[in-house]
Amino acid sequence: MGGGQNPAALELMNTENINPEDARLGALLRESRIAPSLPPRFQEGVWRRIEESVVPVKVTGGITWLDTLVALVLRPRLALATAVVLMVAGALLGVRNGSQMVHQDAQARYLAAVAPNSLR
Amino acid sequence: MNRSLIILLGALVLGAALFGGSYFAGQRACRMMRSADDLSWLRDEFHLSDAEMVCIQKLHEGYLPKCAEMCAKIATKKAELETALNSSTNVNAAAQQKLAELAALRAQCQAQMLQHFIEVSQTMPPEQGRRYLAEMQRLTLGFHEETESSMSGAMDHEHHH
Repeated sequence: MGGGQNPAALELMNTENINPEDARLGALLRESRIAPSLPPRFQEGVWRRIEESVVPVKVTGGITWLDTLVALVLRPRLALATAVVLMVAGALLGVRNGSQMVHQDAQARYLAAVAPNSLR
Repeated sequence: MNRSLIILLGALVLGAALFGGSYFAGQRACRMMRSADDLSWLRDEFHLSDAEMVCIQKLHEGYLPKCAEMCAKIATKKAELETALNSSTNVNAAAQQKLAELAALRAQCQAQMLQHFIEVSQTMPPEQGRRYLAEMQRLTLGFHEETESSMSGAMDHEHHH
């Protein structure tokens, strides 16, 4: 696409860019740029915004232990192990309690058969 | 609410649900697997063999009709006592007679029941037999003893004051 450009013209442009006159022109341009004036109480506003941005960090810092705990709890291996332990413990306790209930029911059934309530 | 707190509460609820679900499932499975007949308590509690259970089964089947007969007699006598009590505002002679007859029937029934317990205990190994007899006496006659002792204790208390 750039194959149709004139090499002589490009060389002229490069030559103009390194001209010392351009440095002067640049300095003049920089001096002519208008620096916007700062709004009133700008510095105070900046410090206030910095302080405001620091305060939430302190608040979140107060519950980082909770985040740490959640991160620990949600580890797949630990979560799976906890679930298995809870299920096994619950089932064992249920079987033990169920066994006691069966034993009591059986005793009540035998007593009801051999010793009616009117005699007890 | 904080997101971490919600996650933690959710995990706790899930853990409680897992534990509770497993507990009830285990309990239900145990009760379904060990369905009890009239004599299963004897087998489990006194560690009886099949041969001993056969003897006890025979004694049990022989005892039940006698027990049912006595229960029917007691129920009839109780109905007669109620009729006698309803016909008068006092405990009249007829009601006293029915009370005495009812007490005699109950005593007869209890004696028959104790005799059955003795026969059953004799089919067991000696130690288990003694334990069975003591347990059955406690379970069937203990209630009256407790009531009587509590009543006599209360009366003593009143007499002291």
